[in-house]
Amino acid sequence: MKILTHKQEICTGCRACELACSQAFFRTDDRLKSSIRINNNFNTFHAIMCTQCGECINMCTANAIYRDKNGVVRIDRKLCVGCLGCVGFCSELSMFYSDDLLVPFKCVACGICVKACPEDALEILVSQSKGD
Amino acid sequence: MISVNTREQPWREGLNVQSLLDEMGFIFRHIIVRINGEYVPEEAYAARLIADGDDVQVLHLIAGG
Amino acid sequence: MGKILKQIRYTPAKIERGYSNKSLYINVGDLRIEEKEVTDFMKEKFVGGKGFDLWYLWNAVTPETRWDSPENEIVMSVGPLGGITQYSGAGKTLVCAISPLTGIPIDSNAGGYFGPLLKFAGWDALELQGKAEKDLIIFIDGNEGLISIEEGEEYPEDSHLLAEELTTRFAGSEEDKVHVSVVSSGSAAKHVLMGMLNFSFYDPRRKTVRFKQAARGGLGTIMRDKRIKALVVKFKGIKPNLNNPADIATLNRIGVKYHKEMHDLDEKQNGMRKIGTANTILVMNKYDLLPTRNFQTGGDPDAVKVSPEVFITQYLTQGLHDGCWYGCTMSCAKAADHFKLLTGPYAGQCVTVDGPEYECVAGLGSNLGIFDPQAILEQNFYCDTYGIDLISYATTVAFIMECYQRGQISQEDMGGLDLCFGNAAASLELLHQMSRGEGFGPLAGLGIRRLKKEFVERFGADPRLLEDIGMENKGLEYSEYLHKESLAQQGGFALTNKGPQHDEAWLIFMDMVNNQIPTFEDKAYALFYYPMFRTWFGLCGLCKLPWNDIVPADNYKTETPAKVPEHVQNYVDIFGAVTGKIIDKDELIRQSERVYNFQRVFNLRMGSGLRKHDKAPYRSLGPVTAEEYLSRQERYDKQLRELQGLDPEAMSLDEKIAATRAWREKQFELLTDAVYKRRGWTHNGVPKPEHLKEIGMDLPMLLEVVEKHL
Repeated sequence: MKILTHKQEICTGCRACELACSQAFFRTDDRLKSSIRINNNFNTFHAIMCTQCGECINMCTANAIYRDKNGVVRIDRKLCVGCLGCVGFCSELSMFYSDDLLVPFKCVACGICVKACPEDALEILVSQSKGD
Repeated sequence: MISVNTREQPWREGLNVQSLLDEMGFIFRHIIVRINGEYVPEEAYAARLIADGDDVQVLHLIAGG
Repeated sequence: MGKILKQIRYTPAKIERGYSNKSLYINVGDLRIEEKEVTDFMKEKFVGGKGFDLWYLWNAVTPETRWDSPENEIVMSVGPLGGITQYSGAGKTLVCAISPLTGIPIDSNAGGYFGPLLKFAGWDALELQGKAEKDLIIFIDGNEGLISIEEGEEYPEDSHLLAEELTTRFAGSEEDKVHVSVVSSGSAAKHVLMGMLNFSFYDPRRKTVRFKQAARGGLGTIMRDKRIKALVVKFKGIKPNLNNPADIATLNRIGVKYHKEMHDLDEKQNGMRKIGTANTILVMNKYDLLPTRNFQTGGDPDAVKVSPEVFITQYLTQGLHDGCWYGCTMSCAKAADHFKLLTGPYAGQCVTVDGPEYECVAGLGSNLGIFDPQAILEQNFYCDTYGIDLISYATTVAFIMECYQRGQISQEDMGGLDLCFGNAAASLELLHQMSRGEGFGPLAGLGIRRLKKEFVERFGADPRLLEDIGMENKGLEYSEYLHKESLAQQGGFALTNKGPQHDEAWLIFMDMVNNQIPTFEDKAYALFYYPMFRTWFGLCGLCKLPWNDIVPADNYKTETPAKVPEHVQNYVDIFGAVTGKIIDKDELIRQSERVYNFQRVFNLRMGSGLRKHDKAPYRSLGPVTAEEYLSRQERYDKQLRELQGLDPEAMSLDEKIAATRAWREKQFELLTDAVYKRRGWTHNGVPKPEHLKEIGMDLPMLLEVVEKHL
C-alpha cells in the first residue's frame, strides 16, 4: 500500500506541495484545491493528507469508494453523487471538496508533491499491507 | 423535598444526580440534567450532590419514530 | 415481457430550483397520458410533495368518491428538496389517495429512490387515475424520455420477487440496477383493505433489491384495485447539482456539517447507524410505554429478548451503508441478511428482511405478546412482500387477540386459528391466509373499524367493549406507542388529519416524563407547533428522522432543545439554498399550516373533519378493564385523590374505573377545545374563514366547504 508521509521537523511551510498538487489535478494555483494542506501551528508545520485508512469505503452512500491495486483509496467519479458524506466522516479531515466540483478529492499518493518539495520533507511509503 | 421535572420528590442527605436517575428509573442516556437552571454534564453525575429544595430538570430527548 | 399497450416519448424537463414544473397524469383505464404545468400558485400555496398530491387529488375527486371509484387517484410527489444528495434524508416521496380504511385522504411517506428519480425523469408529481381490466406495468425512462404501459399478468405479485425481476429487466446491466426503482404491492393487497406500497432501491453492496414503504392507509389496495401491478422509473446520472440549486455552497456546507455530526455523535446518542429506529425498545419498556397485548400495559420482562442488542448481534448486518436515498448518513434502514424463512410459500429460502423498525418490534412483537426475534422478522418480511401495512396489521391482530382472550370471538369464528397473545405461528398463518385470500384473512384484513361491526353482528360480541379496545380513529389503526397516560399524545393521535399516525406529533416523553407541557395551553401549543413542523417535511421530500434522531453537541444549551433549533435553521437554510426562496422559521410553519388546513377542509368535503371524527377509543385515554386499572393502581388511585378530591379507599374498583373514565374523557374534551382554538378552528373543529385568510388559504373552494359547517 502507498501512503504519503510528511516530516514535520524538516518542513519549512513553503507550501510548494500544495501548489504542485492543485496544479497537477485542477490546473490552478489554489491551495483549496490541494489534497495536501500544510497547517502552521506556532511555526511547526504539520500536514493533513489521506492516510488511506479506508474508513470512507463502507460508509459511502453511493458505493463509489474503493481501493486500487496499490491499496490507495479512490473515488469512482462515475458513481459518486457528491453527497460529501465522506468529507464529513473522514476522521483525518483529509477528504476535501470545492463548491465548483461535483466530486470530492483526496490524496492518491501520486508523488508529485514529493518531487516539488525543496526540503525532501515528503515521501511515499510503500508497505506490504493491502490496507483491507 | 426536591422537585424533579416540577414534580415533588423526597430528598435525602447524600443524594447525587446518578443515584436520583437510578432511583427514578431514568435509564435513557440522551438526557439533559439541570439543577436550578445550571447544566450538569454527564461526567459529573456521580459527584454532583443535590441539595434539599433543589429544582432538578431531567429532559429526555427522545425522538420517537 | 407483456404486450405494450401504449408508449409515448417526451422531452424530460430540466429541474430548476428543485422543480421540473411539470406533472404527469396517467389514466390506466383509457390509457391517457398527459403532461400538466406546475404553476406558481401551486408552489406558493402547496410547496410540493404532499401539498401537490392533495391539490391534484381534490381536483380529481368529488364528495361521493369512494376508494374504489375509478376517479380516485394515487398521487405521488417528492417536493423541491427531494433528490438533493448533500443533506441526510432527502428521498421521501409523499403518496396520497382516498383511503379504503378511512374514506378520507391518506398521506403516506416512503423513503427510497422512486420520488427523486421520478423528479429527475422530469415529473414533480404523478397522478394515477382510472382502472384497468388487466394487470399493467407502467415504466418511465427519464433518460430516454419514454413512458410505456404494458401488460403485466405474467409477473409475480409479491414484491421481493416482482421488484427483483423488474429491476433486472429494466436495468441494462448489474451496474445499471441502482438507476431503477419499482413501486409495487403484494398478493395480499387484493384481499385486504390495509394494502401498502413498497418503494424499491437496489443495494449494490448486498446485490439485492431493498424496500421502503408508503405503508399507512391502504394505498396498495387501491393500486391493485386499479390493476396496476408495478410502477417502474429509471434514471441515470445523479449529481449533487441536479436540482439546479440557487446556492450550492450553502447546501454543501450545511450537508458536511450534518455528516460530521452523524460521524461524531450518533454512537453516543441513538445509534441509528447500528440499529435504526428500534433503538428505543428497551427504553420504552423501562418507562412503561411499550404497547403490550393490545395497548393494555406498557411492557413485559420478556422485552429483553427483543432488545436492540439482540438484533444488532444476531441479525442485522453491521458496518455497511444503509441509507434509503443517497447522502443519508443517518443510514438507519437496517437489514437482516441471509434470514431463513420458516413458514409460508418461501419457507426454506434465505432473504433480506428490511427491518426491524421500532414499529415492527413493538407492533408485531410486544403488542401481540410475541417476544421471539425470529418470528418478528419473519412477520416483518411477509407483511412487506405481501404488501400489508405492518402497523395496521399489528394493531388489528392485537385487537383480534384481545377479543379472543375475552371470549368475544371463538377459535371457530377465526376459521380455526388460535390467535391468542404470543402465538406467532398463528399470526404468520393469518398473513399467509391474507396472501391467499382464504380463511380468516379477508375478514381480518378489513381493519378494526369494520371488524368491530362484523364481530358484533356475526359473532354477538359486546359492542361497548369493542368500541373501547378497538384502537382505531377515523378508521385507521393506531401506531405502536402506549399513550394512555399522556393526554398530549392522545391528542397527538386523535386530533390528526389522516388518523392516528405519530408522524404529526410524538409528545409522550415531553408530556409524561419531562413534564414540559403541563397546562392545556402548553399542550395545545405543542399540538399546533409539532404537527405543523413535522408535516413540513412531507412538502419538501425530507425525512423527519435526521431532524431529531441526532442533535448537535450544544443543543442542550438552547432554550428549546426539543425543537433542535440548529437543525430547524438547517432546514430553513437549505430550503432557500435549493429554491432560492428565502424563508424563516415562521414562514416554514406557515407553509405547513396552509397544507394542513387544506387537508382538514378536504376531510370536511369528504364527510369527515368534525369534532365527532376526532374521538378516541377509551383504551387510548385510560384503563378499560379491571386488570388495566390494577396494573397501575397506585398511580390511578393517587390521581383520584389529587385531581378529583375523591377517596379511593371508599370506592369499589368499578366506581374507581368509572370515575377515572369520566375524568379522562372530560380532559380529552378540554384538550380538544384548547387545540382547536390554537389552530384557528371552531369548537366543532372547522377551520374558521378568518384563519384561512390569515394563512393565505381563503380559496373559494375551501370557503365554500367551510361555510356549510359554521
